[in-house]
Amino acid sequence: MSVLTPGRFSPTTAGGGKRDVGWMTWFFPAWYAVFGVIICVLTRVTPPPRPDITAADKVAFFNQHHLTIQIGFTVLLILLGGAAMTNGLVAYQMKRMSVGSVFAYGYIGGMGVGALPGFLLVTVCFLTAAFRPDRDPQLISLLYDVGMLSYNGSLGCFSAAYLVLAIAILYDRNNIFPKWFAYVSIWQIITEVIATQMFVFPSGPFAWNGSIAFWWAVVVFSVWLVALIMLLRKAAAAESADEPALD
Amino acid sequence: MWVMVLGDLVIFGGYFIVFMIYRSMNPTAFLAAQQHLNITIGVVNTVILLTSSWFVAQAVLCVRGGDPDRAVRLLWGGAASGVAFMVLKCYEWYREIIAGQTNSDMFYSFYYVITGVHLVHLLIGLIVLGVLVRELRTPGRGRVWMIESGATYWHMVDLLWVIIFALLYVMR
Amino acid sequence: MTNERTITWTWLALVAITLGSWWLAPAHSRGVASASIAVTCVVLGLAAIKARLIIRNFMEVRSAPGWLKLATDAWLGVLLASVLVIYLI
Repeated sequence: MSVLTPGRFSPTTAGGGKRDVGWMTWFFPAWYAVFGVIICVLTRVTPPPRPDITAADKVAFFNQHHLTIQIGFTVLLILLGGAAMTNGLVAYQMKRMSVGSVFAYGYIGGMGVGALPGFLLVTVCFLTAAFRPDRDPQLISLLYDVGMLSYNGSLGCFSAAYLVLAIAILYDRNNIFPKWFAYVSIWQIITEVIATQMFVFPSGPFAWNGSIAFWWAVVVFSVWLVALIMLLRKAAAAESADEPALD
Repeated sequence: MWVMVLGDLVIFGGYFIVFMIYRSMNPTAFLAAQQHLNITIGVVNTVILLTSSWFVAQAVLCVRGGDPDRAVRLLWGGAASGVAFMVLKCYEWYREIIAGQTNSDMFYSFYYVITGVHLVHLLIGLIVLGVLVRELRTPGRGRVWMIESGATYWHMVDLLWVIIFALLYVMR
Repeated sequence: MTNERTITWTWLALVAITLGSWWLAPAHSRGVASASIAVTCVVLGLAAIKARLIIRNFMEVRSAPGWLKLATDAWLGVLLASVLVIYLI
């Protein structure tokens, strides 16, 4: 079929592309929006509560947000499979690149392992803390620290995923994603490297709520995520509906 | 590549600004800590990195002039300078840590993070130079735009160091 | 376009300025170094010159489209101006 053939694109998809890929491409920002509401509004782990407070303050934090923490994180436990699906979508686009599938598998592996420290640990720790509010304050303080440190400081897995993504994009001859996105992914690795300092400093710019280790890194992450969502849509639209299925 | 360079410059700019803000909150402490830095190592390292940029810039000219073999030798020169910088930097860190300047001091925490992130950029740069050498060695390739892109990245590493040198080592 | 001489002269200028900085550094002064607005202004000025030399000659922005010249100058200007302002406050 030539480009000029009428009806070349499926009439049910806007501008071409496969329908199931299109649905997943919409699902991606939808899931992240829900995730955003959970972590920002309900459970209050983003922006992070302070590391440099007393055990009594931490107990007060859990008391204050008790209900929304429980609602938010239990909902996340049900929905967390959505994260795997969003990773799968990126991996699908990576498999369409000319570099071969191993990078896509690396991405899935890195992101998959990263989910444990990335948000599962803080989910379980915070739910445990909220479960028995009359627990010893030192134990609640411990759950707070473990949750926040793992959530903000989880590094190696995501760095590996960003690295394989960047390399795949740079060597891809099919131009599924533009080269500049590889560079944005490399910036993500840099912020993860800096995040190591969170484990050392309870206050200051390198703490888990610090201006450099957290806030500036959030800016970079937001750029990365927004760019990824836009690029997934472009990649899905650019794919023709009759492109052969991947292995 | 300019997306990478401009974005990276902005990101580092953020680090520099935060450093300055914290410095303005503790000027005497920062000044006192700064004195423990070895300015000689700083100057030598700066010259080493400037020289590596000279090598890389000359390499680009050679590629444009159709002399890829000389370009490869020049790129090796640039890479060797980069490695020398790395070795000296690690030695400098070793000396500072042995002398007790750890990141328990605020100035030094900035020093280690900023020079550390810069070192990661340098390592990436060495990989980039390796990719450029391979490109030039592959018969029938040697795309000029690629050599120029890689060189631009390398000069960015040099540029960032010049600012770091001024802010951390020299300014008071 | 850049030629070999430009690159070498640029390198010489950069190295000369760098070697000159050796005297300005606080670690060089005997005893306790003191803050000095004059020294800092000189240092930032020299840094601006060095940075612009690298950008213009090594990165060849001298022969680049106008928007790139503007962007790099703007980055350098905003950064060093902010540094100076924060330093002086």
